[in-house]
Parts: sequence; C-alpha cells; structure tokens
Amino acid sequence: MPATELLLDITLGVLLLILAGAALHGTRLYTGIISFIAFGLLLALVWARLGAPDLALAEAAIGAGLTGVLLLSALGRHADEPAQPGSAVRTLATLLLGVLVLILLLRAVLPLAQGPQPLPALVNSQLEASGVSHPVTAVLLNFRAWDTLLELLVLLLAVLGVRQLQPAGRPRPGVWPLLQAWSRILAPLSVIIGGYLLWRGSHAPGGAFQAGALLAAGVVMLRLAGLLPLLRWENGLLRLLVLVGVALFLTVAAAGAWFGAGWLNYPAHWSGALIVLIEVAATLSIAASLSLLVVGERQELGR
Amino acid sequence: MTLALASLLLPLGTALLMLLLRLRSGIWVIAASLGSLLCAGLALHEVIEQGVQTLAIGGWRTPLGIRFELSSLTAVLLVFTAMTHLLVAIYAQHSRHSHARNTDYWPLSGLLHASLAALWLSRDLFNWYVTLELLGLVAVAMIILSGPRAHAPALRYLLLSLAASLCYLLGVALLYGRYGVLDLDLLAQASEADHSTRMALLLMTVGLMLKAALWPLHLWLPAAHSSAPTAVSALLSALVVKGPLFILWLLWSRVAPVDMTESAGLLFALAGIVALLAGGWAALRTPLLKTLVAYSTVAQLGYALLALGLLLRWQQSELSVALWLFVLAHGLAKVSMFLAAGEMQATLGSKRVASLKGATQTMPVAMFAFAVAGGSLIGLPPSGGFVAKWVLLQPLLLEPIHWPWALGVLLGTLASAAYVFRVVALSFDRADATPPDYDPDPFAQWLALLPAIAVWGLALFSQPLILWLSEASG
Repeated sequence: MPATELLLDITLGVLLLILAGAALHGTRLYTGIISFIAFGLLLALVWARLGAPDLALAEAAIGAGLTGVLLLSALGRHADEPAQPGSAVRTLATLLLGVLVLILLLRAVLPLAQGPQPLPALVNSQLEASGVSHPVTAVLLNFRAWDTLLELLVLLLAVLGVRQLQPAGRPRPGVWPLLQAWSRILAPLSVIIGGYLLWRGSHAPGGAFQAGALLAAGVVMLRLAGLLPLLRWENGLLRLLVLVGVALFLTVAAAGAWFGAGWLNYPAHWSGALIVLIEVAATLSIAASLSLLVVGERQELGR
Repeated sequence: MTLALASLLLPLGTALLMLLLRLRSGIWVIAASLGSLLCAGLALHEVIEQGVQTLAIGGWRTPLGIRFELSSLTAVLLVFTAMTHLLVAIYAQHSRHSHARNTDYWPLSGLLHASLAALWLSRDLFNWYVTLELLGLVAVAMIILSGPRAHAPALRYLLLSLAASLCYLLGVALLYGRYGVLDLDLLAQASEADHSTRMALLLMTVGLMLKAALWPLHLWLPAAHSSAPTAVSALLSALVVKGPLFILWLLWSRVAPVDMTESAGLLFALAGIVALLAGGWAALRTPLLKTLVAYSTVAQLGYALLALGLLLRWQQSELSVALWLFVLAHGLAKVSMFLAAGEMQATLGSKRVASLKGATQTMPVAMFAFAVAGGSLIGLPPSGGFVAKWVLLQPLLLEPIHWPWALGVLLGTLASAAYVFRVVALSFDRADATPPDYDPDPFAQWLALLPAIAVWGLALFSQPLILWLSEASG
C-alpha cells in the first residue's frame, strides 16, 4: 500500500474516533448532533475505502443525512437545556469499560480473517439465475428477499409508532426566498439522482433505500421551503405511497405461492423485471415514509 | 407449509388493508385471527400426519436463502399465538377501555401477530434479527396507545430493546464471520468452542435475555407492561417476551458446543431460581395491581429459564417440553389475569391493589378469573401450570443430588402462592367493599375467564401436547 493511502486511512480512523467521542461526550446536544452527522459522512468514506460502495451510499444518505435531520428536528421541539458539565469519574469509567470491551471484541474478531466464506462465491455462481447482475441487489431482492420485505415493515412500523405519539405541530420559521429558489433547483436534481441510483441498483451499487432517502431529502426541502402542502397520514394517496412497497412485495410473493413455484419464487424469465418493479415501489414507499417521519404533521400551528 | 404461511399472511394482509382504508372496526382483526387460527390448526394436523416440513424461501437452498421450518412446536406456537390474538381481539372490540377506538390498535395488533408468526417459522439468525426489530417496535408503538403517561416507560423499553438488538446483531455478525453461514442447522453442524463463538453467544444471549426480560435484565418490563392498555399488556406478557426466549432456546440447545452448555446451563438455572424469588417478592410488595401482574411475568419466566438451564446442564432434551408447557400455560393464565386486572382496575377506578377490597362481591366473575389463572401460575393440579411443573420436577426428584433444585421450585411456588393469595384474600374482605364507578361489564369479565378455563383444560389435553412438544425437541 502506498504511503499516501496509508496516511489517508490513518487520518480517517483517528478522525472517526474523535468525532465519535465528540458526539457522545459533547456538552451541548447541538454539538453532539453536528459531530454525529460529520461522523456519518466520514464513516461513509471509510466504507468506500473498504470497498463497500453500497454501504457507503446507505450510510451517507440514511446514517448521516436522514438521521441527522431527524435528530435536528427533535432538537427543534426540545426546550433548551443547560449545558451539563461532564463528570471526570464517568468519563474515566466509560473509557475503562470501552477498552475492556474493545479487547474482548478484538480477541473475537481477529481470528475471523481465516474463517470460511462460502457465500460470496455461491452468490456469484447463482447471479445469472437471480435476474440482476449486482450481487448486493441479488441478495437483497432475490436470495434473501424475505428479510427486505420485513425491513420494509420495520420502516412502516417506525412511521406508525411516531404517529401514535401524536407530535404537535410547531410554528414554521419564516420562509426564506433564497431557500425557495434553491430548493426549486435542488428538488428536481434529487429526483434525477434518486432515479439514477434506483436504476443503477440492478447492475451496480445503488438501490431502493439510497434512492428513497434522496427522494425524501427533496420532499423535506420542498416542505421546509413551504412549496408543498402539509403531509398528513389522513391523505389517502400518501398512505397508498407508504404501503405500496410492502403490498406489492407481498402480492408478488403470494402470487408465486399460488400460481408458481413457491413463496417469493420469481418466475424464471420475469425475475429481472419483477425485481425492478418491486424496487420502484419500495423506493416510493421509503421516500414517503421517511418524509412523513421528518416533516409529517397533523396540523400546522400559527406563527 | 402453505397453511402456516396463510396463518402468517392473513393478519398481515388485514393490517395493511386496515391502514390503507382507515378501517376502525375490530371485526376485521377478529375474522383474520379466526382464519389464522384455523390455518394454524390445520397446519398442526398436517405436521402430525406428515412430520416436520421445511421451506426454502424463493427456492434458494441454504446457505444462500432463508429456511422456514414447520415443526410440531412451531405449529403449536402458531395456534397459541392466533388463539391469544383472537381472545384479546374480542375483548378489545367489546371493552369500553381498550384504547382501540380512535387509534391504530387494530392494524398494530395484526402486525404483531404476523411478526410473531414469522419468528416462529424462521430458522435463520439474521432473519430473526429483523423479526426481533419488528416485535420491539410494534410493542413500543402499542404501549404508547395508552397516552402520554406511558411515554417514559415506552421510551426506556425502546432504547433497551435497540441496545439488545445491536448486541444480538453483533453476535450474528461474529458467527457469520466465523462460519460463513446463517442457517441454524448449518451452524449447528459447524460450531466449535473457540473464542469467537463464545463471544458471539455471549452477546446474543445478553441481547435476547434483555428482550425476553429474563432476570437480571428484566427491569424495564414491569413499568412497560403495566402502563400499556389492558389488551396490549395481555399480548405483551403472553406472547412478545416468548419470541426471544424461543431463539435463545434454539441457539443454546442446537448451536452451542457441548462443553459450553454445561457452565452456561448452571448460570441460566441459577438466574431462573433468583427470578422466581425476586419476581415473586416484588409482586408481593408492589402497591399497584397491574405492576403485580407484570412482576409475576418476571417470576414465571424464571421457570422457563430454570428449565432451559437444567436442560443444557444435563443434556436432557425432555426438559424442553417443560419449558414450552410453562410458556403455554403462563401465556394463557397471563391473558386472563391482565384482562381481569384491567377490567377491575377500570371499573373500580383505582390502580391500587387495595381497591380490590370486596371484589368477590362487586365483580365476582373477574375475580374468579384472576383466582383461577393464579391457580395455574401457582401450579395447583390439574391446571396447565401443574402439568408443566410436574414434567420439570420428575427428573429433579429422581436423584437425591438434584433435590436442591426442587427446593428452588418449591420456594418459587410459595412466592407465587403468596402474591396470588394476597389479592384473593383482599377480595373476600366484603365488609367495606370498594363501590364500582359504573356497572361492571359481565361480558368482558367472562371473556377474561375464558383463557383461565382454557389453561385448566390444558391438563386434559396434556398427553398429545407433551408428545408433540417432545417430537419437536428431539
């Protein structure tokens, strides 16, 4: 490995640790959130360096982007709290415990380098039959499609759970003309890039979750700029969008069980098309769910 | 297998339709639970006739794909889940204070049913992680239904449940890195007692014990289960904590290498005894009625943990029959107890145990349900709880060296008798009875009595049940 690459990797690793510490031990919540977002972005870089572009995309879009926005919007609802001085004993105890866990985990992880890994070869050998040419998409939407179906349900439950809390609406800050102008330019871009990532997913890194997160980012921006009406669960079309991913997935699965070879078993020549169809529906659902989580409200309060 | 899948899909499809069309009537969920119960019953029949069935999802064999396995235990659990949901749904539809009217209670209960069915059927470590996430989220969402007071316990539950999920996931990642497969049977063939496997099992055990509220990781349970709406408390105590227990049992009885199970078994068994005593003591002391019932869950899970520990320590797979009999008997009894307690609490207008004074006069049927269910928890013959305890005690009494464990079971029984009789004795104090705020609802009380009768009926049914359960554990 060239020295410059090594230097980059070491810098990334050290920065990650510092940012993680800042996110956990920052005295103010706001500092913690900003450190967390920066941590997510750097982590995405680390995944890219490790040769996992799918993870990098997901981490940047969901881990750093949407989680960050969710945390910031939670902070917005939260009353200001006085900065808490960190106690030295607590920091020391955390450090000690952290080092202990680290040693235990290292002892468990280090021998894994020689472990047998039959699956990557197996996935590649069956790639032809899966209907897509990117191994990650093949695993997510064909070999282990049941996991992905249940993950879509997890997202649906997150939306439902937040709905039960019945968060009160809050006054919006005045709309800033520059924000409106910018979001008019950025929102179509998010649609194009999201669509591209979705399409790319069948043969290269990308896919429904990343595309959905990008679309949601566009929706959130438009909503914050006051260019979209209220996103309410009571709106039937929005509910349809949230549910369409799971519903379509289940329909395909059940149709396979009823007419075809079995549960979640795609017909041989249709698997590519079906996977793309499911991915489109899942992208819409993910985008709608994430937007509802961030900017969904029951009613708007006056300023 | 098609029938078992139908038993999973019916509640799931119903929940999605109810969300889409904003249907607010419980009739749909009752119908779906009934259909699911029928399918599960037929699936059980199929398994008894034809033996264990497996399904490679999507036609992909393991290790590439996910495997479903329908054993007789899984079929029994599917029937049990559907039956509990049916009973609770009828109660929630009828009861005046079930928080089901203007909330998402119905779709959430459908999703809970489907998540549990998915968990019972799956035999894949990562797929279990996803089902655990589903269970945790749906449980938290349902606790919140009872209003802002439940927010704090629900949030604590959510955070602990997430931490537990992460522990479990890290363990799965370690096992995957070590063996390269995620399927339970493939792992069982490959597993060795090395450092990575130990660490992975430790992490997964901590996560699962936290989620199943097994002592000493049970502290979130009493607040969370007692602050939920009555119908939800019943579902949580009867079903949700049993899901992680199922995974824990399979993991230790199948995957863990033999030289690890002995020492771990001892720890599990000791924790079980302590759970019996500590849970029983806390239930005896608490001033609040639903908290008492919730602590009794902590105590009763001790029996399951004890059975698991002894099963691992002595490598006696018959003890898993005792474990699952405890789960079934406790589930039914706990539905009855929570429904009766919730009904009495709402009608008498106080959350305190003391308000049950004279309840045998004011709400006789509900109090009777509570006492009958309590009888099964204590293990009075011929209830389901007694059958379970009998199966557990048989190998303990055979050899004098095992008698200390039997003493532990005896002490646990004493503790449960103490907290049940604390309530029952109070309810016979008719001199100064608490007047009900409004007319007691006889139908809801009879509904609460139904599962209590079922758990006593379990004893009549115990021979085939033990046979099915022992087939699954072999």
